[in-house]
Amino acid sequence: MTKQNKKHTANSKRNTQSTRKGSIDPVTANVIQGALENIAIEMGYKLMRMSYSSIIRESEDFGAAIIDNKCQQLCESRHSTPLQSGPIPGYVRGVKKLLSGRGEKINPGDVIIHNSAYHGASHGPDVAFLVPVFYKNKLAGFSVTTAHHLDIGALSPGSCGIVDAMDAYAEGLQFKALKVYDKGKRNQPMWQFLHDNIRAPDLVVGDMEAQIAACRIGAERYLELIESYGQKTVEAASEELMSYSERLMRSAISDLPDGSYQAEGHVDGFLDDPDRRHYKIAVEVLVNGSNMTVDLSGTSLQCDDRPINMPLEGTVDCAIWLTIRSILLDSTRYGHIPQNSGLIRPINIIAPEGTLANPKFPAPTIARFVSGNIVADTLMKALSKAVPNKVSAGVGNLKVVAFSGLKEGSHWVHMDIHEGSYGGRYGKDAMDAVDTLYANTRNNPIEDIESHLPLRVSRYELRNDSSSSGKWRGGIGSIREVTFLEDSFISIEGDGHAFKPWGYAGGKRGKPAKVVLHKNDTTKIALPSMMPNRAVQAGESITLTGTCGGGYGNPLQRNPQQVKSDIADGFVSTNTAKKEYGVILNKDGDVDITATEKVRKKLQLKN
Amino acid sequence: MKLIGVDVGGTFTDLIITDTGTKNTHIHKVPTTPDDPSVGVTRGILELCKYSNVLANQIDHVFHGTTIATNAVLEYEGSETGMITNQGYRDILHIGRHQRPENYSIMQDIPWQSQPLVARRNRLTVKERITPPDGKVLTELDQLGVKKAAKEFKKRGIKSIAVCFLFSYINPNHEEAAKKIINEIYPEAFVTTSAKVAPQFREFERFTTAAMNAFIGPKVRDYVQMLEQRLKKSGLNADLHIMGSNGGVATAQTVSDLPVITLLSGPAAGVLGGAWSAARAAKRKVITFDVGGTSADIGIVIDGQYSEATSRDTWIGGYPVLVPMIDIGTIGAGGGSIAHVDKGGAFKVGPKSSGSKPGPACYLRGGKLPTVTDANLSLGRLDPENFLGGEMRLDRTIADKVINSLAKELGIKKNEAAEGILTIINSNMANAIRAKTVQKGLDPREFSLVSFGGAGPLHGAEVADMLNIPEVIIPPYPGITSAEGLLTTDLKYDQIKTEFQVNNKLDLKRLNRDFKELSQSLFEQYKADGISASKVKQFRFGDLRYVGQGYELRVPISDGILNKKNIEKVWSAFHKQHQQEYGHFFADSPIEIVNIRLTGVGIMPKISAPKVKKKGTINAAIIKIAPTVFRINKKLKTIDTKFYDRNCLPIDKIVRGPAIILQKDTTTVVPPNWTAKADKSANLILTKINPK
Repeated sequence: MTKQNKKHTANSKRNTQSTRKGSIDPVTANVIQGALENIAIEMGYKLMRMSYSSIIRESEDFGAAIIDNKCQQLCESRHSTPLQSGPIPGYVRGVKKLLSGRGEKINPGDVIIHNSAYHGASHGPDVAFLVPVFYKNKLAGFSVTTAHHLDIGALSPGSCGIVDAMDAYAEGLQFKALKVYDKGKRNQPMWQFLHDNIRAPDLVVGDMEAQIAACRIGAERYLELIESYGQKTVEAASEELMSYSERLMRSAISDLPDGSYQAEGHVDGFLDDPDRRHYKIAVEVLVNGSNMTVDLSGTSLQCDDRPINMPLEGTVDCAIWLTIRSILLDSTRYGHIPQNSGLIRPINIIAPEGTLANPKFPAPTIARFVSGNIVADTLMKALSKAVPNKVSAGVGNLKVVAFSGLKEGSHWVHMDIHEGSYGGRYGKDAMDAVDTLYANTRNNPIEDIESHLPLRVSRYELRNDSSSSGKWRGGIGSIREVTFLEDSFISIEGDGHAFKPWGYAGGKRGKPAKVVLHKNDTTKIALPSMMPNRAVQAGESITLTGTCGGGYGNPLQRNPQQVKSDIADGFVSTNTAKKEYGVILNKDGDVDITATEKVRKKLQLKN
Repeated sequence: MKLIGVDVGGTFTDLIITDTGTKNTHIHKVPTTPDDPSVGVTRGILELCKYSNVLANQIDHVFHGTTIATNAVLEYEGSETGMITNQGYRDILHIGRHQRPENYSIMQDIPWQSQPLVARRNRLTVKERITPPDGKVLTELDQLGVKKAAKEFKKRGIKSIAVCFLFSYINPNHEEAAKKIINEIYPEAFVTTSAKVAPQFREFERFTTAAMNAFIGPKVRDYVQMLEQRLKKSGLNADLHIMGSNGGVATAQTVSDLPVITLLSGPAAGVLGGAWSAARAAKRKVITFDVGGTSADIGIVIDGQYSEATSRDTWIGGYPVLVPMIDIGTIGAGGGSIAHVDKGGAFKVGPKSSGSKPGPACYLRGGKLPTVTDANLSLGRLDPENFLGGEMRLDRTIADKVINSLAKELGIKKNEAAEGILTIINSNMANAIRAKTVQKGLDPREFSLVSFGGAGPLHGAEVADMLNIPEVIIPPYPGITSAEGLLTTDLKYDQIKTEFQVNNKLDLKRLNRDFKELSQSLFEQYKADGISASKVKQFRFGDLRYVGQGYELRVPISDGILNKKNIEKVWSAFHKQHQQEYGHFFADSPIEIVNIRLTGVGIMPKISAPKVKKKGTINAAIIKIAPTVFRINKKLKTIDTKFYDRNCLPIDKIVRGPAIILQKDTTTVVPPNWTAKADKSANLILTKINPK
């Protein structure tokens, strides 16, 4: 399959800003938009509440969307994480292509499972279920959910931290557009096969059933919508909705000065393997009127036998769309904008085949999570040159740890996402200890983890004196320590150990992450950010120290009163205050204005 | 007995008095006094007494709905708060669930980080650790550390302290011990413990709830004391009860200790008021629909029982709070919602509202943008001469003008734009109702919509039409339904305990023991209020989920000792509810009881049904005939429409739509294909002709 220099949209060359077409009145368009969004919200709501594994219900690592018969996304669940809903049109394209290649037809009553990263899926564990919607015996669209599953039968337990998978086959089961229901009939051998090849099958298969139930609700509602308004009206409203989103995006792109904006970022890779580490992500943004091209040429070549590669469709494209949208159409400023395929029409992505950002089958991709976040971060860095007031400084990347063990013959698996943090922003300090960029999951309550798993979360708090200095300070990573109450296994899929998040305009660079294993024999072992499954003993613990984002602007310009407040909160030590902010406190703990001015002048000269 | 209900809103304080003996009821409205609402409340009560010929000292009960706690949170104006928590876990309040509120925003603020309820400097830690499942102590409480922290807070002048330890919902001893130490060292401090406020698992949410209680505590306590003093000075000896978010009232003392229970009290009273009107009309299934200037609140009441929000869905000001609340859906849609064409060229209405200041353009108070009220006026549905009983004039020319300029921008005709505004806002409201009905397996066609608030009766029928709801009920005083609701409530307290028991290895003994303990603490609470156990009704519930799930459903549990046989009913009720809510159930999955709950209801005196004795003819109720605009068979038509005075409508006589029915506090629109009749329940009942 060739994706080189692929134009993602047929009409991306259109320079003139499209205006609203007269085919639907604005009131009906609005009413149908509301109805469509309501459908996606309901799907997401129900999936989240029905599902079993914490990665879906707590981390909200799932997506739900309605797709029209041209594979365009009409709406997505607001609950979902962007990396899940974004790829859904690609899943549907992949399914259609595979089925027609095999000469199979889509029929009413079918339910299709799909997870092929080389056919639109984000990566193997993000399994989609598609329920086709038929109106008057013709395919009118699809109701689709995706969800990150706990385990899909890879070489080691869990679906994160499979960082030693040497190809797509080692990553677990590959579902290439298979029917789990055929014309309404349950394909029992297929379900048995799932049950037999997945660890913790009760949870995983339960979640799959929940996905299908949510899809069916969406399909039913979409059909009701078509029945009450007529297919033509719904299609016209959908088209208007998409061109509406497109107009907003085009208008935002038009506000940028034409030109080229470039940046580079780096991914740790496998730090304990000199041949497979320090990967480069290169981004060039070309703005031309209301069109934007994001060119990743110059990005490192793919890693043939370790799963850090990113599917172009499903990961790289989503990371790019999400970043552009979050910066140019920031929902804090623009309010809620319907997420649909119109938003991406003005954006064209170039990623040469054979690179990290467009790998060739069967290069493994399962651990593409953290590299995709660097694509997003590097794109933001490039855009910082065009819209400095709308970006954050470098984002501290995150990490997933898979915990597992065997209890009474069956597996327990738990995936803990250890958050990173954002960089400082124009006029605002950073967001501390949050999930970042294209991921937006939720952590698990300590009280839930300890009540249900042989783990103790023995520490969870912010790093002290770690915020990167800036006029607006960088985000603070957290420290999370987990003690094993039984002999278990862990694996790690993460980033942020080798490279510091970028500072902006005089802001200091961020602080890297680390992981330490405390052995029972009191030795400490520093673990790399990517680590395949390894055994640990009861009583041992790991300490995860999260990445701190970069600072924004010259720290010498930070309001000294704010620095005083940071000292009180332990975000900054008096020493850092003096050395990096040039702020001196007197004996009473107030800002010594004269001394501060003096030190600041001296530091200014030194810079 | 003489009862007063007083509900403080943003602009007006609404009051109602009822005599349970004579069944006489009077209503009153005074301007709210935002700096100290107790001034307006007291003034309103005294005026209402005078106006209804009752002496202040004859009042038995005052039921009060207040937003003092809510506003303190929304405006981030509480006390500087301290926290004592576990060493190693200082920043649970800051990290939260590590999720950003917005998916697509770099510049967003995270409320608990940008506006922390407790600043990090005031989060002091001590050694302590309890472990699940049985609350075993892993690390003893560092009592010296608590002493030091208490002294430090005293030194810093911090008057409110939250004590928050992990797993305190299983074993609250350390939190209680810490509280005792603080009380000894610093007796004037307001101390909140997390297990007392919300004895449920999920530490971020529980700690936040405790921190919020601490944050608003002193302010609410001072307000309640101030109000009690003012009332006493004015010669009132009545018992003061305050509305809680759970749909019941609590004593002034309880609210002073646990102000978080009042966070959603305003909308809760509305649901009760709506439910009361529907109950009089003998309706079993009801959607309450309370539409004001900026927002619409939606509640579901079935057989007199309102649904409660699950503990994961209760938020205020962007912070999660784990307190029992009536399940109320709120949407930014009301009379003041602004219509506009946005950057992408789409026609939008709301959620921005012109509020009461400057208000809709037709108020002539400086509002320049077209609102829903302007659209209603422009289409002739509001009578400019008869708004608020003629107390306020509306300017139709201005309404036409602002809508005309919107129409030009959209390239459509003025009336299309005006009617479009209504269609869009109605559709937004219908979607919000769908979320609470269709999406939860409830069929709106089986429900009546009780439509109230200043703007509810204007929109009720058309919203009902969109949902195929066949019937709309307009209460007698739609503008003060919340105050009325206050006179229908009971003294209601909730007890909760996290249980974590699975049905395939259920410890029935423990379950029965825990219910008994809850029951005992409930009785103690009532005893403190002077109510004996025999007068308290108890209702038991469980929060259940399939093992592995993260969201629970609330299932009723019958009274008495639970045994192997009757517990089966609980499991089957859960399967059934799961099927109804989500359209699916898992027959083979084990079920976990996450929390058990006990709700106590201490019966309070209530308002009785209003008297109705209206005779006469429909024609005699006609005030005027004027053109109004409705959509009939997809086309806009201008129709000469009769305007009626609601007070003159005879009982059980049918008014055919289109018609407009006027009364002092609202206007009711009866669209074509709908009829209206004044009912002996004192409601106005709108009925769809040929319902689907």
